[in-house]
Amino acid sequence: MALDQIITAVVAVIGVPLVLLAYIIVGEQVIERLSDRLQTWIRPYFWALPAVGFATVFMLYPMARTVIFSLRNNDDNAWVGFANYNYFFTFPDTLTALRNSLLWLVFYTFFAVAFGLIAAILLDRVRYEALAKVAIFLPVPISAVAASIIWKFMFEYQPVGATQTGTLNALLGVAHHDPVAWLVDSTTNNAALIFVGIWTAVGFCMVIISASLKAISTEVLEAARIDGANEFQIVWLVVTPLLWPTITVVGTTMLINALKTFDIVYVMTNGAYDTDVIATRMFSQLQSNHIGRAAAVGVVLFIAIVPLMLVNIRRFQQQEEQR
Amino acid sequence: MSDVFTRLASRAIAAGLGTLMLIACSSGGGGGTGGGASSTDVTVWTAWGGAELKAFQDVLKPFKDQTGINVHLTTNRDSTNQLANGIAAGTDLPDIAPGPTDPNLVKSWVSKGALKPMETALGDQFQAYIDNTYPALTTPPSGQQDNPYILVIGGKHYALMVKTQVKGLIWYNKKVFTGTAPTSFDQMLQINPSQYGAKSLFCAGFESGAASGWPASDQIDNIIMRQSGDQVYTNWIQGKQKFTSPEIKLGYQTFLQEVSDQNVYGGRNTALSTNFGKAGDPLFKNPAGCLFLEQATFITSFFQQDFPSLNLKAGTDFDFFAHPSVNSQYDGNINGFYDNFSMYNDTPAARKLLTYLSTKDAQQIWANDGGTLGAIKTLTYTDPVFKRAADIANSAKNLLVTAGDFMPADMQKAFWQSLLNVTKNPGSLDSELAHLDQVQKAAYTTS
Repeated sequence: MALDQIITAVVAVIGVPLVLLAYIIVGEQVIERLSDRLQTWIRPYFWALPAVGFATVFMLYPMARTVIFSLRNNDDNAWVGFANYNYFFTFPDTLTALRNSLLWLVFYTFFAVAFGLIAAILLDRVRYEALAKVAIFLPVPISAVAASIIWKFMFEYQPVGATQTGTLNALLGVAHHDPVAWLVDSTTNNAALIFVGIWTAVGFCMVIISASLKAISTEVLEAARIDGANEFQIVWLVVTPLLWPTITVVGTTMLINALKTFDIVYVMTNGAYDTDVIATRMFSQLQSNHIGRAAAVGVVLFIAIVPLMLVNIRRFQQQEEQR
Repeated sequence: MSDVFTRLASRAIAAGLGTLMLIACSSGGGGGTGGGASSTDVTVWTAWGGAELKAFQDVLKPFKDQTGINVHLTTNRDSTNQLANGIAAGTDLPDIAPGPTDPNLVKSWVSKGALKPMETALGDQFQAYIDNTYPALTTPPSGQQDNPYILVIGGKHYALMVKTQVKGLIWYNKKVFTGTAPTSFDQMLQINPSQYGAKSLFCAGFESGAASGWPASDQIDNIIMRQSGDQVYTNWIQGKQKFTSPEIKLGYQTFLQEVSDQNVYGGRNTALSTNFGKAGDPLFKNPAGCLFLEQATFITSFFQQDFPSLNLKAGTDFDFFAHPSVNSQYDGNINGFYDNFSMYNDTPAARKLLTYLSTKDAQQIWANDGGTLGAIKTLTYTDPVFKRAADIANSAKNLLVTAGDFMPADMQKAFWQSLLNVTKNPGSLDSELAHLDQVQKAAYTTS
């Protein structure tokens, strides 16, 4: 069984490029025999076709299927109109999930970018910059599942009077405060989850913003200083506006991450005590074989993300043009 | 030049096509392990790994030695899905694999002829199998013809039961709780923990990562099946009994007595925040945090693992009693689970293996390796825990499956989480139950 799979993988890795090579060699043979005008017209299409083909098979087709699934029943043998969407927008559980995703969207994005920006600007001015940056960046390569487990230990709760094994509750104990069941209490649980998300994302925001901060020429800052601006004014009126394109790109990336949030919630609470988000709803619908409803959630998520993608792509294009 | 190119090109194409065909062959041939009605080879899938797999290999060894039949054993944790695909596509299936758990799949596979009855597989040994095995595993109550939960359809048996476990046992520290085991649920609630120097009556730990809530669901399952009976219980699993119905609501209210701030160690937030594996720790603290913990047989390994220095021994340091009666009318309803094998290809070798697995000799090897009950009533156990658990299985009129595991996944999730929510806020019971009715309505209908 396992050997078969390895052979298949190896053959596919060698076979697919070989087929592509054959396509190019044979195709070029044919094209070379055409008239010059026809050649220049057809060649770009010929070379782009494999890429377009792959994108169609692996992205456009599944996308179209998902939209179709979302309008059909579970057995995929009858149209049900917008019943699946109706479920999504009226069922109390999904409404809670929508509310929570909105919380993620606002707080996760804002704090991840804000802390990233602050860290980048402050660390730009200290001698131990590299060390501090490594410390802040360290959570980024940790997988979200591992991060969630780490924070589960941090949030651990023991009854009043017993030794607190969770770091946060141990600290509360030092301050003579009763322990808090962080992940159970509905006033703290969403904030706790979003905090873990921010912890894993700040480093990423900081690194990107910091790179673009280094690109700001010192002459601009010197000029501002000569004009009598204080450091706060420089940061607020000169540096931040110059960083704005980068902040937008980082911000939209964070917005997309917020909408896609799944692992942290799944590992830490699996949506218990009203912490579900859109993606965990999609997963539980899929698990219970409600393919239509899961597809509807997917389509809603997709529609929410597309405008953000467009903003991001337009920003990239602008940056390309500026170069 | 162009000649060379043409030759190169045609070679490249040939190579490409060749590799494509190779891909096709190797992936097409992947499942081809069955083939023909073999009397020398048998393919078996199991979900077991680790110690459980080792035990099964021990069981198989004498069979291989005596018959010379080769058993091709594969651990496959996704067997139900793969079998479903194979049955739908008409491709090769393993000769022997676990039967499906979903009652709808059981009925559908029986009607398609994919599952072969044990009556044919075991032949003249069938009656001995029925006589030897715990009745709750083979015989639907009161002469019914169908019970898909034990794979009996139309009076025929479509799975061979080989192992079983009982759940809903009440564990205690023998040095702390020295009284006699309560016989009724009310009696248990009236025990005063301080009389034995314990802080509270029950311990509980409902946290289990993404599956949080299942330990609570075991507790309420064991209440409902003994309080309102197997019929209500089974209807409830199948979505035919509303959560707001008086029976299920009563079950929730009874469950809430077990996890009230007064009765549960550390209060409700502790029960919600504690992992099930650590739930029993306060039993062995000094002074004891609680008197009782409700859990299945597997929990003993957690006791021993959490207190290595105490060198805890089953029977001398800790012990259990059976879940007390709630309504005596329904005594004998036991919560448990089982492992089984079904036959997907009727071959002489598969028949021989199943017949062997139905014997006391084979199952005694499982019992000796420990950690489980066999399906046969008369096995001997050295571990006192399993010796007593065997008595409970023997007394069972109905072995009832764990409810959440047989509900649709979003129903299961909502059910588990509702138990967490009402534990946290008992005042929300009515709104939680109304919400569960909504989920039930949506989960059991295919839109």
